[in-house]
Amino acid sequence: MPEPDQVSTRFEVPSRADLRVFAGYCVAAAVYIAIGVVVNDFMFSVVVAMAYIVVAAWLVPTLFRRLRR
Amino acid sequence: MSWAAHDLEPYAFQKHLGFKVAFVPLLIGSYAPDLMTKWFVYGIHLGPWDLKASNPAQFHRGWPGVGFTHSLTFGLLVGLVIWKGFGSKLWAISFVIGHAAHAITDTGDTVGTMLLFPWTFHFHVDAWAYAGQTGRFTDAAAYFSGLGSMWDLAWILYGFYSWRVITSEYFDAVIYRADPFWPWLNRWVPRGALIALYRAAFFYGTSRWIAWTIWAHIVHHYPYDLSWGGPHWVPAEHP
Repeated sequence: MPEPDQVSTRFEVPSRADLRVFAGYCVAAAVYIAIGVVVNDFMFSVVVAMAYIVVAAWLVPTLFRRLRR
Repeated sequence: MSWAAHDLEPYAFQKHLGFKVAFVPLLIGSYAPDLMTKWFVYGIHLGPWDLKASNPAQFHRGWPGVGFTHSLTFGLLVGLVIWKGFGSKLWAISFVIGHAAHAITDTGDTVGTMLLFPWTFHFHVDAWAYAGQTGRFTDAAAYFSGLGSMWDLAWILYGFYSWRVITSEYFDAVIYRADPFWPWLNRWVPRGALIALYRAAFFYGTSRWIAWTIWAHIVHHYPYDLSWGGPHWVPAEHP
């Protein structure tokens, strides 16, 4: 676990690894936005969004990694 | 009212305050003023019943009504209860900051908030129209056509500029250590899911800003009106 003084919040150009994580969230966001534009009720709940992002950004990649092993 | 700012402001405070705040109460505070009341502003159908405030703006922001939830006084009072009742000064301070951000941000519309309740004077900047009384879809269309939407966009851009505050490194070094809530939750929820949860409000605010903008301007062609107090095609409420 990094020490607090090792982590800066100043702006830096993201690394390739950071961009990979960002790309994953962009895919999840694109799906969320597409669903939301069609089914507006989907966008009214932060609880739904939390459940969605845990599934899309953690559960799905975790299951995918396990299946590939 | 604001739509995405309340999701994104806590990350900006987190960036500047670091260990001085805990993220969860900061976020709860940011949501708190609307938490139990928004459904009654827009109205819901419950079987044969239509439940909706007869005067949504008065109910939401006024007195008599629940407008006191948007006051700095209410935030301080709840903070005091958290501090003295639950023994966490960190949670209390974080809640008060998040709550104050919401109350102050909502002074941006034409109804504003009674910041210093029980003084019932509404502080309002009138930058964008309050249209909650028109129902949630017209309200969404109006909000995402006016300056409120640009206010949200500013927070989104600042969030991306501050992107390091949502990295897993920052989560491990600051968020997880600052608040015992996270190690407690980590007993049942794996770290990866905790990080996704920590990022959820940022994701939610940004994604729905894009989605509502597409819905309002590409699907439905509502006109932009970025003039002060706009959009003027919707009847704005005033205190």
